[in-house]
Parts: sequence; structure tokens; C-alpha cells
Amino acid sequence: MANSTNSITVENIDAAYGAVRVLEDVSLSASSGQTVVLLGTNGNGKSTLMKCVMGMVRPTKGRIVAEIDGHSHDLVGMTTEEIVDLGIALVPEGRRLFPRQTVEENLLLGASRMKARPHIKNNMDFCFEIFPRLSERRSQLAGSMSGGEQQMLALARALMLNPRILLIDEPSVGLAPVLVSRTIDAVKQLKDHYNLTVLMAEQNFTQAIRIADSGYVIVHGKIVFEGKSAHELNNNDLIRQLYMGM
Amino acid sequence: MEFSFSLLINAIAAGLLLGGFYAAVTAGIAISFGMLDIVNIAHPAFIIVGSYVAYIINAKFGVDPILASIVMLPAFYALGAAVYQVYYLSFEKRGQESLRGLAFFFGLLFVTEVLLLIVFGVDYRSVNAAYIGPSINIGPIELPLRLLVPCAAALAMFAVLQIFLSRSFIGRAVMAVSQDPLALRLMAVDPTRIKRIAFGISIATASMAGAFLIIIQPVIPSVGRDYIGRIFAICVLGGLGSLPGALIAALLLGVLESLTSTFYGPSWAPAVAFGILLITLAVRPSGLLGR
Repeated sequence: MANSTNSITVENIDAAYGAVRVLEDVSLSASSGQTVVLLGTNGNGKSTLMKCVMGMVRPTKGRIVAEIDGHSHDLVGMTTEEIVDLGIALVPEGRRLFPRQTVEENLLLGASRMKARPHIKNNMDFCFEIFPRLSERRSQLAGSMSGGEQQMLALARALMLNPRILLIDEPSVGLAPVLVSRTIDAVKQLKDHYNLTVLMAEQNFTQAIRIADSGYVIVHGKIVFEGKSAHELNNNDLIRQLYMGM
Repeated sequence: MEFSFSLLINAIAAGLLLGGFYAAVTAGIAISFGMLDIVNIAHPAFIIVGSYVAYIINAKFGVDPILASIVMLPAFYALGAAVYQVYYLSFEKRGQESLRGLAFFFGLLFVTEVLLLIVFGVDYRSVNAAYIGPSINIGPIELPLRLLVPCAAALAMFAVLQIFLSRSFIGRAVMAVSQDPLALRLMAVDPTRIKRIAFGISIATASMAGAFLIIIQPVIPSVGRDYIGRIFAICVLGGLGSLPGALIAALLLGVLESLTSTFYGPSWAPAVAFGILLITLAVRPSGLLGR
């Protein structure tokens, strides 16, 4: 029987841009089928950690191991394309859609991955079911849509890759509060439907915590707190101090 | 000059046929310049190479020039992929593509031209084919087969390219690669590989365009320069990144040039392309179908 364990483990990584140290001895893990949130305000290293996992920034020390369908892969040293091809997708900060392509073309580009091609129809139908707006605008250029719609498209495009593990970098950036809440709900729906393992970086603590199974708080490139459950995250003095000024 | 209806309609017909040929000449630039942001001003030189290859095969083996150019497509594709690899390693990878890359293609243009001069001399070369000479007449319209056959083949080539670009995974990636290469990597697609394939295809079109050229007119190595201005004007008028736009623009330019040379004299015809370029940039910089 095929093993369907999909997890990601980051072990003691350091990362730097030139002389500037961004991550220091960071370890975290997201086990199969869990939603793990990485909380921290701007400039604390959340995006860099995401980029390390995706092979866009090479850590100077440490290991990143992904288990996909029961097979273990050492990600450090692999190219971004190889990592994505394994079944790890990133919804990047700033969404990074192809603005001069239509919604449908953006989605189909997501399905470029060989293993995703047989599932195009199912995945696209599901994306349109969750985000009916995208269905209405399928022939509109991505660059001409609103921020909320673009965030939906970025999520949908990542799903077209048919991933096992989904990384989401700050989905709430630039969105009105009502859209943030809707986006977070959508992440939960997608995760449940595909039984994804999700690692989400967010600075909107209250929204992120709604769907979290566990989480980490990162400050100045170090993990300062690990919450093994939503309850632990909610009732922590450090988080209150950092996010709620209490 | 006295105005006559038959003159007008013949000028339009000849212009459309010429436009079809312009479309073939522009196709490669529409891909490299329009979609990849690679300013390949050496493209006309590759077209002239295509002309001479068709000429050699035609003279030695008596093979139809268009057929010869189709047979040579893989070789031109490989040449294009190799040129891109050099360009990528020498310039693009180091972020020096804008100015030094331009100089690289300028150099390629002159070196190719000089090599052709050394090998073939300055004599005009032409090919033999059954359709060079006769015409068909539809009412008052005379359609020289020498123009009609290349035009039809060019339209077929355009259709194949457009279907490939809009329907295939690689084609869609080609259209997306200059917008955000990093985002493409997040789709498990290697942008360098996509650009290499696309540039290979763009040079492959030069094989066919070269054959069309030598069917339409005798060729000397420097004749490619006549087309540099025209093909960039067509690209901008059509809208960068749009193949259908380039086709419409090519047909439009063909008709306007033909009308100009019929009613005002052939020496005015080249001014049309640059006139259109200036008007387009002033009035609609995104071009006819630019996104």
C-alpha cells in the first residue's frame, strides 16, 4: 500500500544575505495533514525561511527534509523546479501572477508540472467551485483583477500543481480585513479537500490562528516560541505581548 | 498618375501577398523580441542564411526551396538554441544583456554577413521552382505565384506557431517567461530551458522566411538589412508578445507599402514602416493587440 505521509522538517538552518544574518538555528516541522503557521511581523525572516525550503535561498547550515508520499528528500542543494516537481508548492509573497496572461492561462501554467497534467480538469473545476469569481473572469487578464481576486488566483494556481505540501507566504498582505478572513477560510477548504500539509507564514495572528493545528513565532530570525496546538498559541504571554500589546 | 480601380485592387492584392511574406520575416522577432525580451537584431542575417541554404539545396539537388527550408528546420532550431546558450552564459546570466547583448547581436549580424560575402561573393543568387514566373488571374486581379506560394506557406507557418504557443504547456510558458521567470520556476518550469526552446523556434522560422525571400527576389548577403526596420515596426504595431497582432500588422504594412509604391512611387515605400512606427508609439504604444 502506498504510504501517503507528506511532511516537512527544517533542522537547525542558518541563512544570510551577504553579511546580514537572517535566520539563526531555525528548526520547525509540519507533519502530515497539519496546518502549521509561522507567525512574525515584517522583517523577521518568514519569507526567507520559505525561500530556503523552495531552494530560492541556500541555507549556510542545516538540513531541510521533505517526505512526499512516504519518500524522503533532502531539499538543500536542489533547484526550485526540482522541489516544486516533488509536489511542494509555494504561493509567494506578492502573489507573482503572470499579469499579461488570462486567469485560465495562469491556472494552466500551474499545471505545467507533469504529475499535475492528468488532474487538470478536476483541479480546475474544484478551483472554480471554491472561487466562483475566477470562473466568471477566466478570460480576463490577471493583472487587471483586484487584489483579493489575485490572491484567489495565486492560491488556485498553486493547487493546479497538484501539490502534497503547500507553502503560503503572507496571504493577507494588501487585502481588506473581510478578504483576509475569506482567504484564510479558502486555505482551510483547500487543505481539507486535498488533505494537504500546509505551512503558512502570516503576520495577522488572529486570522492565522483560526485554522492552525500548531505554530511557531519567529523574531529576528530565531524561533522564540513553539505552540503545539491552537490553544497553546492562544494562551501564550509572549504572543500577547508581541501581537496584542498586553 | 491616373487613378484606376484595377490598379487599386491589384495594389491591395499584391500588398496582402507581400504582407504574408513580411509576417514570416517578423515571426522570429515577434518571439525573441516580443516574448523573450531578446533584441535579436541579427535575425535578418539568419534569414539570409536561410536563403542561401535553400539556394544551395535547390541548385545542387533541385529540391523545392520551401521543402528544403522545412527539412532544414531542425538544423536552424539547433543553431538558435546554441546561440541562445552563448548569449545566456555570456550576458543574461550576469545581468548584462541590455547593452552588451545588443552589441553581441550586432556583431553576429555583421560577422554572418561578411562570412556569406566571403563564401558566395556579391552576385545575386536566385532559385528555380515551377511557381516562379506564372500568375493566376481572378477577374482583373493578377496574383503572381512567386508571391502567392510564399504567402500561403507563411500563413500556414503562422497558424502552426500560434496553435503551439496558445495550446501547449511549453507555448504558454514561452508567453509567460519574460513576465516573471521566478514565478515560472515555482510552476516547476526552468525559464532558461523555455527561452532556449523559444529562441530555437524563432531562428527556425528564419529558415522558412529565407526560402520565401529568395523565391520573391534574388538575394545578396546585405539584403537582410532592408528588413531590420520593417520587422521591428511590424512587431511594435502588432503589439509585443502577440503573434496575431504581428500578422495583422504585417498585412497592413504590406498593403500600405504597395499602395504607396503604386500611387506615389517605390522610393516612398520604405518611409511607410517608419511612419507607422512613429504613429504607433505616439498614439497606441501597446500596439494593435498588445496586452
